[in-house]
Amino acid sequence: MPGAALEIEGLSVRGARGRALLDVPRFAVAAGTALAVRGPSGAGKSTFLHALAGLVPAAAGAVRWDGEDIAALPEPARAAFRRRRVGFVFQEHLLFEELSAPENAAIAALYGPRAGRDAVHGRGRDRLAELGLDPGETRRSDTYSGGERQRIAVARALATDPAILLADEPTASLDRANADRLADELVRLAHEEGRTLVAVSHDPALHAVADRVIDLADGRITEDAAP
Amino acid sequence: MTDLWFALPVGVQDAAIALALLLPALGIGAVALRGFRVGPLLRALLRRQAWISVVFTALIAVSVALGAALIAQERGLREGTARAAEKFDLVVAAPGSEITAMLAAVYLQPADVPLVDGETYAEIVAHPRAELVAPIGFGDSWQDAPVIGTTADFAAYLSGRLAEGRLFARPYEAVAGARVDLSVGETFQPAHGHGDAAQEGMHDVDYEVVGRMPMTGSPWDRALLVPIESVWEVHVLPNGHGPDWDRVPGPPFDPAHFPGTPAVLVKADSLGGTYVMQAAFTDGETMAFFPGTILARLHALMGDIREVMSILAVITQVLVTAGVLAGLTMLTRLLARRLALLRALGAPRRFVFALTWSYATTLIVLGAAIGLGLGIAATGAMSAAITARTDILVEARLGWREVHLVAGFVSLTAALALLPAWLTMNRPVMSDLRG
Repeated sequence: MPGAALEIEGLSVRGARGRALLDVPRFAVAAGTALAVRGPSGAGKSTFLHALAGLVPAAAGAVRWDGEDIAALPEPARAAFRRRRVGFVFQEHLLFEELSAPENAAIAALYGPRAGRDAVHGRGRDRLAELGLDPGETRRSDTYSGGERQRIAVARALATDPAILLADEPTASLDRANADRLADELVRLAHEEGRTLVAVSHDPALHAVADRVIDLADGRITEDAAP
Repeated sequence: MTDLWFALPVGVQDAAIALALLLPALGIGAVALRGFRVGPLLRALLRRQAWISVVFTALIAVSVALGAALIAQERGLREGTARAAEKFDLVVAAPGSEITAMLAAVYLQPADVPLVDGETYAEIVAHPRAELVAPIGFGDSWQDAPVIGTTADFAAYLSGRLAEGRLFARPYEAVAGARVDLSVGETFQPAHGHGDAAQEGMHDVDYEVVGRMPMTGSPWDRALLVPIESVWEVHVLPNGHGPDWDRVPGPPFDPAHFPGTPAVLVKADSLGGTYVMQAAFTDGETMAFFPGTILARLHALMGDIREVMSILAVITQVLVTAGVLAGLTMLTRLLARRLALLRALGAPRRFVFALTWSYATTLIVLGAAIGLGLGIAATGAMSAAITARTDILVEARLGWREVHLVAGFVSLTAALALLPAWLTMNRPVMSDLRG
């Protein structure tokens, strides 16, 4: 799956009582880029990521992925977009603890198109193996270590073969060795498989391996540079 | 179409009605779950909320069990009382309360009732449509088993073929009901009166058990049937016969020496004959009634109560389920982050709806199924208790009516479960995801 090109134009996201959470006049990312987003707490990093996934409504502007403006889509269409094109890795793994690693990795098979279910299961197992986990394991996912759980979450994000990989502080809950390993994995996935990676992170190790790093402050991009 | 329906066996009709009542739930399920596989996440939710799920399921099960068991019990009691009375075509008694007379004559409940005299009794015996006429006399007991005086012919009619031994042929012989703890050849001395008021040693006579009746499913199973002449004799009354009586009990009785009987049990030659006799002996001096008619009146009253009970049972079940669904709505808030995660990953809102609905419906269906099982157990226990207390064989068991009730309940509550599912589906993703 080739990566998707991102283009933002006049994006404005408002919070309670119209407070500005995000203002991005113009921004573009080439397909297959590994982009890191950094900034202090409350800078709007997560809102930026959620806006790219269509999880928060835009007060104005456009968020185009390969020309498709997801900000203009109704919610069911945005959900369908995420299902088809976006893989999401959350800070706290957010797994279904009662399910096994392979079941978590293939969670999209439960609600995705019937025709693609076998493929989702297959990719989920393959990704677990690639990330050093046993794809035949049946124990509950809450019996895994934090690093392993985050790798299960990455396998889940990739099981649908998404063009876009969005990660919210993916290394925050990991020890240094696991954090470095995961940062390398994510960027490798962008480079070797051509996916567009957008990772919100405070982790300098991730910034160091990304193709591009932007700084956010008060909901605005204040710096945009290669590391 | 109507002809085709009535041509079907009753069991098939009942099964079809049950299926029809379940159809709304099945239809909702088919539409809600179409295209999704909720099984793994449903199991995960059930495991995660195991105790809450158990409590909710138990609440539903208990309410279903109570409703089903009460209705089944009422039906069992109705059938049991009717079965106990089916051998009693017509009862003739002195004017008074028909219900009191029926309770005394058919269900052997001690009562002070006026007596039918010898001349009236002779008129009944002489009626051309009479096939079997028997007096009864009571007032004594042995270890809580009533000692009932009657004729050997009536004992034979009541029991059919004896389970053991023979009918009484001498004054102080007895035939024991199936539930009396006396064997053929054993003797007993009757006490005067019943229960706590029974006075031992008042009657210095011994009866010998010469036969045992099979089970009839009526209070007569607990009775000791003896010649009525002996009952009269031990109470120092004329024995129904003249001085030249040969001591062989049974009719004909001499009206001049007939001390009276609280009720005369009559079997006419036909149904028409029963009506003729009922009309003939309903006058100022006697009342003749069909126990079945009295029971039907009582059952009509019970039927009204049954309808009220049915409605109350459904209301109780729906209220319990509404409470459970309200609890589930609150419970889904605990699950909100996980459900929001699914939507963030791209799951359609309808999937979250389907998952929540199937979770609620699983608890409802499990509760209803367990409730039916509990209902069967409760019905058996209650039947045994009622049989032990009344000697009326109550064989209540859950039937199609209860299955229909539960099927309707499942469909109704499955429809109600759409509400928490809808509320969950419309929760804000981002605020739930942040927890």
